[in-house]
Amino acid sequence: MQQREPAAPDDDVVEVLMQQHGVIHNLFDEVRASGAEDRQDAFSRLVRMLAVHETAEEMIVHPLARSAVPGGSGVVDDRLTEEASAKEMLSRLESLDPGAPDFLPLLDDLRLAVLTHARAEERYEFVKLRESTDAATRTRLATALKAAEAVAPTHPHPGINTPTENLVAGPVAAVVDRVRDAMRRANADAP
Amino acid sequence: MSFNPLAEKGIPLDDQIRDWRELGVAPVDPDATHPYTKCRIITMNAIEVESVFFGHHFSRFCTDRAVREHLAHTRYIEQQQQKVVNWLLPGTASVLETTISYEQQAVDLTAWLARHEPDPYLKQSYEFAVLEDFDHLYRYANLYEMIEHRQAEKLVDGLTEVMPGRPTAWEHRHPVDNVRDPYDKATADPRSKLHTLTLVAAEQQVMNLYMNVGPLYMEPIARQLYQEIALIEEEHVTHYESLMDPDETWWERLVLHEYNECYLYYSFMQQEPERRIKAIWELHLAMEIEHLRLAAEQMRRHDRRDPEEILPPEIPETMVFEPNKAYLRQLLDTQIDLTTLGAGYVRESHERFERMQQQIHRGEQPPSEQVIDEHRARFGREYRLQTEGEHPDPRLREPETTPA
Repeated sequence: MQQREPAAPDDDVVEVLMQQHGVIHNLFDEVRASGAEDRQDAFSRLVRMLAVHETAEEMIVHPLARSAVPGGSGVVDDRLTEEASAKEMLSRLESLDPGAPDFLPLLDDLRLAVLTHARAEERYEFVKLRESTDAATRTRLATALKAAEAVAPTHPHPGINTPTENLVAGPVAAVVDRVRDAMRRANADAP
Repeated sequence: MSFNPLAEKGIPLDDQIRDWRELGVAPVDPDATHPYTKCRIITMNAIEVESVFFGHHFSRFCTDRAVREHLAHTRYIEQQQQKVVNWLLPGTASVLETTISYEQQAVDLTAWLARHEPDPYLKQSYEFAVLEDFDHLYRYANLYEMIEHRQAEKLVDGLTEVMPGRPTAWEHRHPVDNVRDPYDKATADPRSKLHTLTLVAAEQQVMNLYMNVGPLYMEPIARQLYQEIALIEEEHVTHYESLMDPDETWWERLVLHEYNECYLYYSFMQQEPERRIKAIWELHLAMEIEHLRLAAEQMRRHDRRDPEEILPPEIPETMVFEPNKAYLRQLLDTQIDLTTLGAGYVRESHERFERMQQQIHRGEQPPSEQVIDEHRARFGREYRLQTEGEHPDPRLREPETTPA
């Protein structure tokens, strides 16, 4: 088997994305386990994480997979179809009160859709991406991804009023815009 | 109101073939399903896989066409049962998540059978091996956090502790020291025969899984860890299968296989909280009752003996998946240092063991140690889930950690 270049774990975009899949799965657990009072808060953190993660994938990972991976276009199209269906579920969920009787069943549907999507990315996209890219590219993209995550943290520090906190409280669209800006900057700064 | 599968009426064999609709079972929810429901699925899959391969081996040694036709027929049904049972596992679970469920299953299944085993030599044999499955759970849990950034607690749900058992590095014995002495079929308690068969089936399935999925991993440490633990599973299959009396006739074995399937489906149906899964256990029990009736008929005809002679007078206490924490801690406290010499157990290392250790390790750390070192290097700690306090063996307590 081809020996993979041993990039340090946090410096590899695939590792960072896998880590985010773990965080998203944990956040789903938190929402499911929370009582009616805490559910909105846990759900908001989940939504922000999903926004950061999916935006980053759409901006950098999918385009790279399209060009670098043989057959990548078809694989990415399938992933975008899954993402579109998950987004639709997400927007229906956002219109519901977290205490509403439909909320948890719909959350279950979203959770299974997101897990399926994440597992498909890991199996059909990330594996190939690692094979067809060099460590330097993956490190550069990891940096961009971490920069994006930093402007939209999912666990704000309580009691400190910063622009970041405002962002956290803001709509998802703002998160997406911030992530896009941060990634463009990180990409532009790359050597 | 004791249940006797020999006296029950099952589903006629001709009505047992299922269509695509019936075979197309929906998987369980990877997060919301009880960990022990997954353990029951994994156990019954192992049992069905064993029954299929037993049928194939029997057929290869059988000269009577009518018998081969009968075996082919029931085997096809067992294959469909295996498909329904194993296809309950969700594709959204990663191979490593499924592996962790397999090890939880191995630990709590073996511990329960050891606790209920009437024969002291067999009990010792199960107790010996359970500490090794227990250690595998800990090694894979550390790999899981490294690769998937999730903690095994999410999977085992605090029902089974995660910490070192007999260190995997010490489990590599010379192959001849894995061959135990068999029970005597004439005097053994029927429960002992069932317990041994269940453990053969379970460990064989773990072995098959690891030998096939290990190379599908990309990460070098994952590939190596699966390879190492797959070799231990070869030891475990040798260990358990050598406990079975080789003088049992093919017909006795067939009857024991079918009875054991009835026993376990009956047991799991008592305990299963998920209604849809419970219905599968009930349906499969009704199918197995007919398989048992037919096997008993064949045994009477070919062996000219009554199957009642080898079966329990009434269904044994039902097998239950439940936490075995205190029992395991007591074994951790007293049996970590055991190894085998010939068919027996010894506390001191011996020449053949040392030579095997030297040949396989060559003085280097095996993958099962490297995975812990790599985890410590990355997270500044190991992954453990010790719900009942520190490790009973001071040598296996977690070393002082430095912040990551």
